[in-house]
Amino acid sequence: MKIVVCVKQVAVLGDEVEFTEDERDVDPDYLDFALNEWDTYATEEALRLVEAAGSGEVVVVSVGDEDAEDAMRRCLAMGADRGIRVEAEGWLDPIQVARALAEVVGSESPDLVFAGVQSSDSVQAATGGALAGLLDLPSVAVVTKIELADGKATVHRELEGGLVDVVEVDTPALLTIQTGINEPRYATLRAIKQAEEKEIDVRKPGELGEPSYRVRKMFVPPKGEGAEMLDGGAAEVAQRIKEIVQERLA
Amino acid sequence: MRLKRAESEPVSILVIAEHLRGQIRPITLELVSAAKDLGEPAVVAVIAKDPASLADQVDVEGVSEIVAVKVDEEEFENDVYRQAVEQLVSDRSPDIVLVGFTINAMGFAPGLAAKLELGFASDVFALRRDGDDLVAERAFYGSKVNAEIEFPGHERVLLMIRPTSWPPAEGDGAAVEAELDVTVLGSHARHLEFQEAATSDVDITTADFLLSVGRGVGEKENLSQFEVLAERMGATLSVSRPLVDQGWMPSARQVGQSGKTVKPKVYLALGISGAVQHLAGMKTSGTIIAVNTDPEAAIFNVAHYGAVADLFEVAEELDKLF
Amino acid sequence: MARDPKYDILFEPIQIGPKTMKNRFYQIPHCNGFGSEKPLNQAYFRAMKAEGGYAAVCTEYCSIHPESDDTHRVSARLWDDDDIKNLGLMCDMLHEHGALAAAELWYGGPHAPCMETRCVPRAPSQIPSDFEHLTYPKEMDKDDIREVQGFYVDAAKRAREAGFDIVYVYGSHSYLPQQFLTPYYNRRTDEYGGSFENRARFWRETIEQVKDAVGDDCAIAVRMSTDMFMGEAGTQLERDCLPFVELVDDMVDVWDINVSGISEWGEDATPSRFYPSGRLLPWQKAVKGVSKKPVLGVGRFTSPDLMVEAINDGALDIIATCRPSISDPWLPRKIDEGRLDDIRECIGCNICISRWEIGGPPLICTQNATAGEEYRRGWHPEKFEKAANADNDVLIVGAGPAGMECARVLGERGMRRVHLVEGQDDMGGIMRWIPQLPGLGEWARVVNYRKIQTDKLKNVEFIPNTQLDADGVKNYGAEIVIVATGGYWATDGLNGCTHDTIPGADASQPWCLTPEQIMAEGKAVPGDKVLIVDNDGYFTGVSLAEKLAEEGKQVTLMTHLGHIAPYMHFTLEAPNMHRKLHKLKVEIVTYNIPTEIAEGKVTSAHVYDEEHLTEWGVDSVVLVTQRRSNEALYRELKDSVGIDALEGEGITGFYRIGDCVAPRLVADCIFDGHRIAREIDSENPEIPLPFKRERHVIEREAVLA
Repeated sequence: MKIVVCVKQVAVLGDEVEFTEDERDVDPDYLDFALNEWDTYATEEALRLVEAAGSGEVVVVSVGDEDAEDAMRRCLAMGADRGIRVEAEGWLDPIQVARALAEVVGSESPDLVFAGVQSSDSVQAATGGALAGLLDLPSVAVVTKIELADGKATVHRELEGGLVDVVEVDTPALLTIQTGINEPRYATLRAIKQAEEKEIDVRKPGELGEPSYRVRKMFVPPKGEGAEMLDGGAAEVAQRIKEIVQERLA
Repeated sequence: MRLKRAESEPVSILVIAEHLRGQIRPITLELVSAAKDLGEPAVVAVIAKDPASLADQVDVEGVSEIVAVKVDEEEFENDVYRQAVEQLVSDRSPDIVLVGFTINAMGFAPGLAAKLELGFASDVFALRRDGDDLVAERAFYGSKVNAEIEFPGHERVLLMIRPTSWPPAEGDGAAVEAELDVTVLGSHARHLEFQEAATSDVDITTADFLLSVGRGVGEKENLSQFEVLAERMGATLSVSRPLVDQGWMPSARQVGQSGKTVKPKVYLALGISGAVQHLAGMKTSGTIIAVNTDPEAAIFNVAHYGAVADLFEVAEELDKLF
Repeated sequence: MARDPKYDILFEPIQIGPKTMKNRFYQIPHCNGFGSEKPLNQAYFRAMKAEGGYAAVCTEYCSIHPESDDTHRVSARLWDDDDIKNLGLMCDMLHEHGALAAAELWYGGPHAPCMETRCVPRAPSQIPSDFEHLTYPKEMDKDDIREVQGFYVDAAKRAREAGFDIVYVYGSHSYLPQQFLTPYYNRRTDEYGGSFENRARFWRETIEQVKDAVGDDCAIAVRMSTDMFMGEAGTQLERDCLPFVELVDDMVDVWDINVSGISEWGEDATPSRFYPSGRLLPWQKAVKGVSKKPVLGVGRFTSPDLMVEAINDGALDIIATCRPSISDPWLPRKIDEGRLDDIRECIGCNICISRWEIGGPPLICTQNATAGEEYRRGWHPEKFEKAANADNDVLIVGAGPAGMECARVLGERGMRRVHLVEGQDDMGGIMRWIPQLPGLGEWARVVNYRKIQTDKLKNVEFIPNTQLDADGVKNYGAEIVIVATGGYWATDGLNGCTHDTIPGADASQPWCLTPEQIMAEGKAVPGDKVLIVDNDGYFTGVSLAEKLAEEGKQVTLMTHLGHIAPYMHFTLEAPNMHRKLHKLKVEIVTYNIPTEIAEGKVTSAHVYDEEHLTEWGVDSVVLVTQRRSNEALYRELKDSVGIDALEGEGITGFYRIGDCVAPRLVADCIFDGHRIAREIDSENPEIPLPFKRERHVIEREAVLA
């Protein structure tokens, strides 16, 4: 059983922000970095499935520069067997990332490919799906439960409003993993130290192609006017609340 | 009057309808509004086992044409939509394809955009034209900043639109009906059944609707009123820190910096003043409605809707309505 | 980060008499155990608040004459020129930070028992103190009155010379000027007693004389209790206080307004158990209604929103704090910098006050382990030096108060990685369930603060739901291991009275329980009649009694001591606790220790008469007899695994902290975690480094010569 998990080192912006001179991005001095939260769940799920299968490996793949290896090492510390970094500099959109990943992931001939549903910094929820499209893999997005069988898997897809769609998907497949699917294990200091020593395989990316979009200008959203105040007595307020709630949840 | 079109003409904006269990989902109509904002009518494609039965629900102002795409599958399946939309795109050559930033669309849209090398962006909440250019707006860095983006070199763009960014289009349409036959070569991810989600352990971070109460409830005995109300409204009950400190509620329900960070579609805060630590845990929620007797309460700074009112009175009224 | 504009008003300067405060933050007079005779401790302690943004910082009560000697309790003193030198340092250091210095000139009358000076205090009438029952005052004649007023004037002049900007004529808490004003203390029939004018005369004259002497150079502050809650006998707002304000308003530069007398001053220094923040605002507002001068006062303010509201509401001009300034001397600065979630909020436990009440020890603070350590250990609450051995990974086993604090400080000191591992699903340890006892909700701030702070530290990782055994610790991969596994309540009735277990006591039985079984494990307390055996002396027994009685049980609370929860006298919680228990019909039994516990029955003996046995029919028994350390993991690692084996795994430091060493106050557990983290790079972190002792060291030869 081989599962490839695509992980991302995400940028974390604090409460203060300055932009680059061309105003198309945030000044990197204001950014911290961490492993994408969804990817810990994806890595944990992969580890559990391989452990249940009795043998196999979990390979984590990421696109980025050398700093991105920090995030990967967290996954290695959790127990992933190997790490591959696809070399890339600067900002890539999710489809470019998928193109960068496609060759490496494909060449591993995995039984399953996992990606997080989305990344906490860009929230595009697209890289996994894009990769599935490029590799022509069956795919299911927003998976909250996985049961493997021969040649297929029964997965739960979490819909809006808490409804669950039970889906049978042919394997090999790509699944994007939702938070809460499991409880990710923690890495001991020993495992973290060992992961530091592990060699991460560095590869060249595939053709990145044209970007699917380009940032014109980045800015701090203007402060809203504050709340729209609802008039009237308790009954009127309640009525308006009901309308808003129903509209938003539909 | 409805006419059936014989041949397929190129369109500017193609909207892919979304439906569930026989109901068109409001996002579809919101996409129509988005099209309208761009000054174009929308051509709405309904991919379903019985598209005709859904057509009425999308026949609103702003829709010029409804394309019925008949498929074998009752409910959404990834490969079915991916292939159907690919053929729709090939047939109609839209400049812009609009889908919702929804769980269904996450399944097929990015893959399609990659395969067809389209311009692409997700979670878009604003659109405009700048001359010939299409400019979209989305958030970055955990929603802390926004950016305007463009699609240079792309003749065709697929956008995933954030729900509730536009109001749903309404009114009576006079859309022309059309059909498109598609060939679906196998669905590798097949819908088996629906299940209601198990609500064993409370996980307020995944709830769509949180009813949140704070110190305003006063006594522990008053909590039960809100527990009942939450259930009635279909909300999950969450609380601010002081109620957990007092032992009235488990910490699993606590929203805030030392509790959980939540981002539900609707956050209804009753009797919560909005301490910094609490706001940190919920201020990126989709729609925040706050009720507090204090007009200066900090929560009103982050709320989208507010009411200076007594939470018990409002709660009583809400109870009657749900 | 920037200050939120809605807090701008807190940073507006304000004029008081000839002085200007640069903002509205004022550290009200409060004790710290240092006085004038530990001047470096005193000055460093006060200066920390000035560094933290306080615009004015006061001494504790400052004795004007040897007749006002509160020994064993520690006050400041301004008796002579050497005291001027000592307290002058405090003024200098405050001025360096742009803060004003204030001296609370105090004469205690019979409340000050003069156990060091052996003087006789004077008072308006000869009635023994309601606080120090054995102390009688000399009844003052006119000469005494003039003389004592002269003490105030002389002390004010010394204060000015020392560099104080503000001098008080302090009456609150039933001290001399307020004794004259109050019928309870003043039964005089001359012109200093009887009518309001007469009762007000002493205070008015004293203010006048002090103002004449120093008023051009110093601001004159008057601290008054607006209501002693003693009915007609005590000071009353409408009858005495407001007229007094109107009478002397012209002479006063700033009013310091509070409530209560001395015997129940917990009504003023309100424990969070009974009162929320801002309790005094109604009285402060009443005074502002009649005065033209700035009004300041306390209210256990930790929230800047409440502070702004108090000013906008017309209740206060200046926000004074005592306890919140102890838990966080940098409160003003953090508000100014928009760092509200860094504020270490006071929890209102009154542990600080308890040290003064005990008399002698320096103050401590549950939330702030550096309170009182500014000079003697050189600890700065907001500054941490990078550890010399920062290139190490640390494993802390247990995220209770000691473990959390240790992780926080090690994180601040830049240790490479700190893993705080906890068996439960969240941080807090014992402080997860203690705040769930009735009224103690604010105590959870201990956990909330540390949760937020450790979350911010990138080198600290919190790992819940992980119970490490000895092997797990050994193989964890840390170079430094700190065991913080806490303690537990004895399940066998082991107690400090008999030094033995209680026959029959067995908390594995359904009818026999310990506090954490009830609070943390949710073990049901069967039946209606509960007997709580409390040999502890602090709050656990009485809080459980309150909780169970509120749930409808018939509670008997038995202690071998003469008082229930005696430590709560020191935290000022005793009077209201007694009222509560009385209202809940809790039966209190003193001087009794159980000789045998069985299902349905407890037999107890009187501690002074072993043959005097009593039988109690009960449905359940709660054992609050004594605590034990959770030593098992530490012992296994040290004794079975062995230090050598640990060293073999690369563990170069192996320590334990908190209750698992010896059960103690939460304040002391947090201190323990803090200290080892501050000293993690000393030669042997297990042994506290010597702290500076302010003492008089003689040159033997010089003395003998």
